[in-house]
Amino acid sequence: MKKLDPKNLSAQLHYRAAGNPPGTLPSSAISNCFPGLEFDFRNVWRRIFVGIEMHEADNYVMKVDRGLEHLLHRRLLRVDGHPLVVPVMGPQRPGSAPIQLTNSANPDGITFMEWSNALAEVLHAKAGKKVRCEFTKEESPLPAGIPTDKKKLVVADLEVRHFFARGPQGQLAVIAEELAQPGELTQGLCSPWQNDYRECACYYWAASRPDYVSVEQGPQGTSIGINWMQKERGPEVPQQYILDNRSDSRLVSYDDLFRHWQESLHFQIEGRDSVSVPLPEGDGEPPA
Amino acid sequence: MSGPDAAQARRLFALSLPHVPDVHLYQTQVGQHLLVVNGSRLFDVDAEASDALDRARRDHDGAEVRRLLEALGVSEAPFIDDTPVQSPPVRALSLAVAQKCNLGCTYCYAQQGDFGGPARNMPLQTALDAVDLLLRDAGRGERVNLSFLGGEPLFNRAVIRAATERAVEGARAKGVSLTLSLTTNGTLLTEDDAAFLEEHGFAVTVSLDGLQETHDRLRAFKGGQGSFAKVMAHVAPLLARQRQMQVTARVTVTPRNLELRQTLDAFVEQGFHAVGFSPMLSSPTGRDEMGHAELELMLEQMVDCGQEFERRLIAGRRYPFSNMVNAMRELHKGTHRPYPCGAGAGYLGVSASGELAACHRFVGDEEGAMGDLVTGVDRERQARWLTERHVHRQEPCRSCWARYLCGGGCHHEVIQRGRPACDYIRGWLHYCLEAYSRLSQARPDYFGLPPASG
Repeated sequence: MKKLDPKNLSAQLHYRAAGNPPGTLPSSAISNCFPGLEFDFRNVWRRIFVGIEMHEADNYVMKVDRGLEHLLHRRLLRVDGHPLVVPVMGPQRPGSAPIQLTNSANPDGITFMEWSNALAEVLHAKAGKKVRCEFTKEESPLPAGIPTDKKKLVVADLEVRHFFARGPQGQLAVIAEELAQPGELTQGLCSPWQNDYRECACYYWAASRPDYVSVEQGPQGTSIGINWMQKERGPEVPQQYILDNRSDSRLVSYDDLFRHWQESLHFQIEGRDSVSVPLPEGDGEPPA
Repeated sequence: MSGPDAAQARRLFALSLPHVPDVHLYQTQVGQHLLVVNGSRLFDVDAEASDALDRARRDHDGAEVRRLLEALGVSEAPFIDDTPVQSPPVRALSLAVAQKCNLGCTYCYAQQGDFGGPARNMPLQTALDAVDLLLRDAGRGERVNLSFLGGEPLFNRAVIRAATERAVEGARAKGVSLTLSLTTNGTLLTEDDAAFLEEHGFAVTVSLDGLQETHDRLRAFKGGQGSFAKVMAHVAPLLARQRQMQVTARVTVTPRNLELRQTLDAFVEQGFHAVGFSPMLSSPTGRDEMGHAELELMLEQMVDCGQEFERRLIAGRRYPFSNMVNAMRELHKGTHRPYPCGAGAGYLGVSASGELAACHRFVGDEEGAMGDLVTGVDRERQARWLTERHVHRQEPCRSCWARYLCGGGCHHEVIQRGRPACDYIRGWLHYCLEAYSRLSQARPDYFGLPPASG
């Protein structure tokens, strides 16, 4: 038996399993509206409406159930009166007033508001109920604004799923099973992990992890220690600070991360770098 | 009663003693369990960790307990700090629509209904103003509760109905979710009331202190005649009609009606939606108050009722013993709060003449005065109240493991009499914790948990 087994909801919500870093708690994880390192939270919104499947980060209808074919590849513009898109405003040239910013890829000059904020009120008040959903009438590969002409809209009353699983006593501290199929919450992680680990100069993706450890102050006021991007991180490694430089072969490269992030970065298990076993060639390829 | 034996109660008194403020430990046939007081978090715990914590708490070694909690990974920053709630919006009002009563219950906090003043009804305009105050700052989707109390509120039926209609309309217009409640002695209920209360989905609480003989002894008309037969006859149409409406029996437990199990079973049989018990801890005259010996007997009876709840739940049958239903729900959520209730915060009482009070019990009492309907909530008095009543300011609550479950006890009773029931409250909570651990193993579906493995 584990030393502790959380039983009630407050214990489940705040429990950090032995060996897990602080960032594995929902309250400290970077995964609210961006893909984090733990899972890509955005995927929970794909099936928030019964009958259609949305893009995880866009108001675009990816799939529909039978009978709702007229909604396929449309854009969902408004839910229960709440708009999902807003105009993008900004200055076009120095000194000029802000205007709506359009371009050929975004002719209406709008942007989709991220799901968790856009739907918060609807989810709070209408979960389990049908709500009025307004879509573009035509297929809309490009972002689309809300037309003033109602004839350009198509309306469907769709049920909003409950976000949390429910038992006889009410909500559980668990995301409802209907919202995400096994594997979906993590399947999109490869892209941010592989690229953004290196790409993001402020180490955003690693921000809730220590990025510079075993630090010692040198006599000149400089420090030595282990930069998390160093390939060699063992105690025998010469103590110095290797400045982040994508061409320095002592640090992991983009290529290393794309090809074998799990061996380059290691999982942290019980506070230590774990030795990962490389997968046989071919098995690690993402599905096409 | 099953007999004078109170072995269960004495066992619970001993096991629930307060040792250290941060944890409580308990054991059932399914294993050892830990309550981490911060956040009301419940864990199953292995024998080694449980023994170490138990040694430390019996030594009253708070530092060692904290060290062990840290090693177990459950030493988060306090979920509840010393900061009182700041200017909470009004979310629930109870209207003393009639400060008069036809019963002469000796223990009544309202002193037979008039709160020690002249008997009076709340004027219609006062009730409507109260409804407006309740809805004023409530936004779309927010929940508010309007309740009618007294005295006996049905002495002012017309005002109840008018205020209800106003609240329903106002809530609908603003998209506010409204719940309605009525607490009555049942003697004045009519068929017509039943239809009205059902239409609006009222939560109706009927004060009933036992079966005929007992009830009549405790809750007689002012002339001395028993009220039981009349109450039951008048409640029958409500019981028959309840769909939206929920009719609950509330039993005030005094030294003269300690037959809880018998009372519970009889009222469940009658068709009440729920039956709940509350000990009489403070009466204006001191009469019928419960002392330690009576609370011991009450706890024994409460546990008897609780065990029947467990048996029936495991067998898949309903047993609406509301103290237990509520305790299981709150323990499962891990409710932790710095106050026993919303009194003086989001919940206020309104007197017949429009004064605001910390709750329905403080009507006409300077101690809990909170402004009036004309000038609004007295935020200064409210802030002082919320600062002083915070459980971190209460003794001996600050060092008690049960403080975030109990919240320090009913403000009115504590101010009037102090805290004579701490052993009882801890004993009952200890039993509820045990029952939660047993039931979450035996009937995880009741709590919506996945079935236990292994």
